[in-house]
Amino acid sequence: MAKRWDGIRISIDADPKYLDALRAVLAESTSILGLDEDETAKIALAVTEACANIFRHCYGGQPGERIDVEIRFETGLFEIRIADYGEFVDPAQMKGRALDDVKPGGLGLHFIHTVMDGVEYRKNKWGGTTLILQKRIEESAAAQDEFGFDDLDAD
Amino acid sequence: MGIKVTREEVGKAVVFAVEGSVDIASSPELRGELRQAVEQKRPRIVVDMAGVAFVDSSGLATLIEALQGTSRYDGKIVLCALGSTVLGVFQLANLDSIFTITKTREEALAA
Repeated sequence: MAKRWDGIRISIDADPKYLDALRAVLAESTSILGLDEDETAKIALAVTEACANIFRHCYGGQPGERIDVEIRFETGLFEIRIADYGEFVDPAQMKGRALDDVKPGGLGLHFIHTVMDGVEYRKNKWGGTTLILQKRIEESAAAQDEFGFDDLDAD
Repeated sequence: MGIKVTREEVGKAVVFAVEGSVDIASSPELRGELRQAVEQKRPRIVVDMAGVAFVDSSGLATLIEALQGTSRYDGKIVLCALGSTVLGVFQLANLDSIFTITKTREEALAA
């Protein structure tokens, strides 16, 4: 019987103190795929920045709200889905800063888009945003099972 | 994991040895230390990052704030002993050419 899905789902409180734990899970996940330290660090950076944006802009810096993270092992693809329960934000409204305009802040979006191969924002069924981050991986390192993830489910 | 910041006085310089992950959760602690040094107008601030495993945009913002602070009184901030993944984040942001970065603490104190 083909597997319905292969991956890891975790939920964290929207509190930055849980980012170390989330990165530890990511590191374990990338080690399953044989990704090196450099690739792992880049993915961890993108996920950290995405969660930081949720902390700041979606939940207003207030802990107690939930972030769902789904790590999916697809054939040739490593995908992380990050869902929040705030209001959907039009990606066109998200702005970083120019790299030559050196000042604190404004680099998170640049990192996300630079280190990942695919970045997509979707409005989820709770009205919030599901950010889909994709990293292509070599076929030899990818899981070879068939998958059928549904979108993140609410409890 | 969090962060640990150790302050050391070396002549006119102040050296901050940082350990851990410098991210949105932990950067306020480093920011507080650096702000104090900037307010004291220390002529040379060295941030030894040998023990830093991860840095995000919040960590970079903290260092940029200190860089801008030192420039207002002709001080200098030097970063040293960055690991390859941490240096890679600076390169992604083109900040490796903005900051003075040395391989060792000794070079940072002399730079």
